[in-house]
Amino acid sequence: MKLPKVWQSTSKTSIRMNKKVILVGHFGVGKTSLVQQFVHSKFSEAYLTTIGVKIDKKEVDVDGLKVNLLIWDIAGETAQSKVPKSYQLGAHGVLYVFDLSRPSTYNNLHEQLDYIKELLPGVPIEVLANKKDLLTEEETKQILSGLSLEIRTTSAKTGEYVEEAFLRLTKAMMA
Amino acid sequence: MNKGLGFDKLREILLEKDWEERDQLAQKLEDLDDQINSRNRLEEKIQPILADERVNLKNKFPELFGPQITESISKQIRESQDEVVEVLYPIIGRMIKKYITNEMEKLSERIDHQMELAFSWEGWKIRIKAWISGTPQKDMIISKLIEPKIEEIYVIERNSGMLLGSFSKSAALDRDMVAGMLTAIKAFVEDAFTGETQELSNIDYDNFKITIKNFKSFFVAVVTSGGMNAQFRDKLDDTLLDFAQKVLKRAKHGAESDAQNEIAEGLAKYFENFDKDE
Repeated sequence: MKLPKVWQSTSKTSIRMNKKVILVGHFGVGKTSLVQQFVHSKFSEAYLTTIGVKIDKKEVDVDGLKVNLLIWDIAGETAQSKVPKSYQLGAHGVLYVFDLSRPSTYNNLHEQLDYIKELLPGVPIEVLANKKDLLTEEETKQILSGLSLEIRTTSAKTGEYVEEAFLRLTKAMMA
Repeated sequence: MNKGLGFDKLREILLEKDWEERDQLAQKLEDLDDQINSRNRLEEKIQPILADERVNLKNKFPELFGPQITESISKQIRESQDEVVEVLYPIIGRMIKKYITNEMEKLSERIDHQMELAFSWEGWKIRIKAWISGTPQKDMIISKLIEPKIEEIYVIERNSGMLLGSFSKSAALDRDMVAGMLTAIKAFVEDAFTGETQELSNIDYDNFKITIKNFKSFFVAVVTSGGMNAQFRDKLDDTLLDFAQKVLKRAKHGAESDAQNEIAEGLAKYFENFDKDE
């Protein structure tokens, strides 16, 4: 069907694969900084404090396939059960972020991950230990060994492993 | 005589130092007097101190006087509202006048456009409609000027907030992100202010209105401009229901790309001529 000149349809002109990624974790762990490293935000961060979420978009290339990541940066909460379910539902992938320099952000990590797994069964979760730059390698190793989980370390400050984390999650979502 | 000379000599010896000091003191006083009474010289001395003080005051002004000034202005406004209105009236009045003039110009342009259409087929249609319905022709022209129009349509997956398809007259913001934010706002309002079974169905802003139609697994957000009326709303409701039943139900079962295609075509089919008269 021929579309009228004044109307534009994004769907018709560019069919693409969209995936919803949610970033969750305690307040101040660096979720927004991680997104800022990865995308150039269009919406103001004020949305995080008003409605509790800010959405960004980034196109990534996974094995030649273009995928649009819709990144929902959800305002930090000490417990995931406090986050509105509607923000989390329908997510295709989860980035759970904690702050290596603040034990309170990872003390209840297993409990929080169990909650997310129950809410989003089968959805890949990438756990990121952020603010790596604030600790020595020895301290980081000690913390991670205590958590006995597959965890990647990142630094939103230096950008270390930020892009890789999103790409790894995208690949897991596509698998 | 000799005795007198000796006394003078003695006095000279004893007081010589005092006299020197007195002379120096007198000189200093004279200088000081000159400095104080000579404007130029006084300025020269005081100017740097005043300059420093000015900078200091400028930096600390909000901290030093802010609360008092705020309190004083608040008090003044409370106590003399009439005077405040009198002061502000010319400024606000000018702004309102400018706005009204601007809007009148726009209205005038639109009326001119309608008048140009008066002898066209469109004009005759209005005349016939006015004659059949018994509505004055001018009322019909004015209602046509503010008639509602669809600006954008978003078909959004309910849980994820993912955009399934959209139609828009402009290409301003990224529609995927807008769809996500609309979902978040909707969810926020529903969580914060309404019960589980109640859903957000309208958002009004300036001359625009977002009408949200909720279905089981998706919702449709229609952005309209102009004055919404019952006739338009009914027509929109019917078209959306028809679109949902025939297009979305079918699209739901296909692959993601097929669904997007089907929705895009459906939107074009159902809404391409929506604003035009039947």
